[in-house]
Amino acid sequence: MSNKKKKTAGKPQVTISPKDYKGKVNPDWCVGCGDFGVLNAFQKACSELGLPSHKILVVSGIGCSSNFPGFFNSYGMHTLHGRPLPVATGAKLANHELTVIVTAGDGDGYGIGGNHFTHTARRNIDLTYLVMNNQIYGLTTGQISPTSRMGMKTKSTPYGSVELPVNPLTLAIMGGATFVARAYSSEGSYFVNLIKQAIQHKGFSFIDIFSPCVTYNHENTHTFFKQRIKHLEDEGHDPTDWKTACEKAMIWGDEIYTGLFLQNTERRTLEQLEPILDKGGPLAHRSLGLTEAQSSKIIEKLM
Amino acid sequence: MTFIITEPCIGVCDTACVDVCPVDCIHFDVDEKDAGQKMKEMKAADPNVDLEKLQLFIDPEECIDCAACEPECPVEAIFPEDEVPDVWKDFIKMNYEAFGQEAP
Ligand SMILES: Cc1ncc(C[n+]2csc(CCOP(=O)(O)OP(=O)(O)O)c2C)c(N)n1
Ligand code: SF4
Ligand code: SF4
Ligand code: SF4
Ligand SMILES: [Mg+2]
Repeated sequence: MSNKKKKTAGKPQVTISPKDYKGKVNPDWCVGCGDFGVLNAFQKACSELGLPSHKILVVSGIGCSSNFPGFFNSYGMHTLHGRPLPVATGAKLANHELTVIVTAGDGDGYGIGGNHFTHTARRNIDLTYLVMNNQIYGLTTGQISPTSRMGMKTKSTPYGSVELPVNPLTLAIMGGATFVARAYSSEGSYFVNLIKQAIQHKGFSFIDIFSPCVTYNHENTHTFFKQRIKHLEDEGHDPTDWKTACEKAMIWGDEIYTGLFLQNTERRTLEQLEPILDKGGPLAHRSLGLTEAQSSKIIEKLM
Repeated sequence: MTFIITEPCIGVCDTACVDVCPVDCIHFDVDEKDAGQKMKEMKAADPNVDLEKLQLFIDPEECIDCAACEPECPVEAIFPEDEVPDVWKDFIKMNYEAFGQEAP
């Protein structure tokens, strides 16, 4: 890590450069894929928060978007389709001093992993959940996802989708998430700030990110979002007002809102409420209290 | 990282790259951050305008490395920063400095 001091007028002193988070492998996403913007903004957010790589764990499922941890220099786990939230929950409980980030796609997070979404939200565990929502299954070459528009023609729906899409934001708000936001992958510093706020939030923080699939979704393109995105802050939205948050989240047409919809800083997190974690530091650093013979016996039994 | 526009752009300034950049970080007027619009206007006003010493630049702090611009350029002027051919290495510094940023 170069730990370079960078002097940029008007910006906070950065000690770890965004480049220091570059993984060993270059992204294999299609040119122009929105996911590049997410990776870039996440690197900037970590850099501006001064988070060292060894204190970050990025957990993902399966999908183009889920290849994310491979391109980011930190601890990482590429798990099973739809399962990054339960794996991340386990990791966070084992070491609650880690900053645990979960990256997923709309298929991964709202389809096959939809059940984990609501339960992780209501537990209010301190994870940051970044969902790259391109309204399509990208990796499997273009089938409808849970967020595809009703009527959308894809490989799997040649006559148009007959299903109503889910609204990830109202789902998260009703599910009990304490930080609910929406972003667009090309929004530069506005997006970086949202990610920073999400990481700093104590509890389950969730950002639904429009991250266009330039190869298989020809409806929800960069141009589509650039023409429609409006910022909630400009409307004077109060993030403690969950009813207005739901109303704004349902708006989908000539105007689509991004920004912080809801934040509840009062509810305590799962780690704060869990008596086992009260004293003694992370479980991962504690002694098991077993002799070597006892632990070998357990391992033998399990093998 | 960032992408860098090199010598072949000089005098061509085709702006095909500008149209595909998802973060609008390719500029002609680097102070105004015009996303190439001023070049387009200049060309629209006078198709024979003298572009002899002019080129576009990519803002290194804003570029997200998505590579969308690279295949669009008709004169192959755009390269990822670490693949800029030796003869055009100067353009890396020029590109950063155009935006008042320190080249790595
Ligand atoms: C259990 C299981 N079912 C299905 C698949 C096939 N599969 C791989 S990725 C994917 C969907 C990916 O869509 P999304 O999560 O939106 O990610 P994207 O590629 O669009 O970023 C599917 C269905 C799988 N790998 N595992
Ligand atoms: S298929 Fe779509 S989601 Fe996957 S890398 Fe290409 S543009 Fe991105
Ligand atoms: S880099 Fe290439 S595409 Fe872009 S303005 Fe210059 S010549 Fe045109
Ligand atoms: S690589 Fe992508 S973000 Fe960077 S200048 Fe080219 S099109 Fe724009
Ligand atoms: Mg998807």
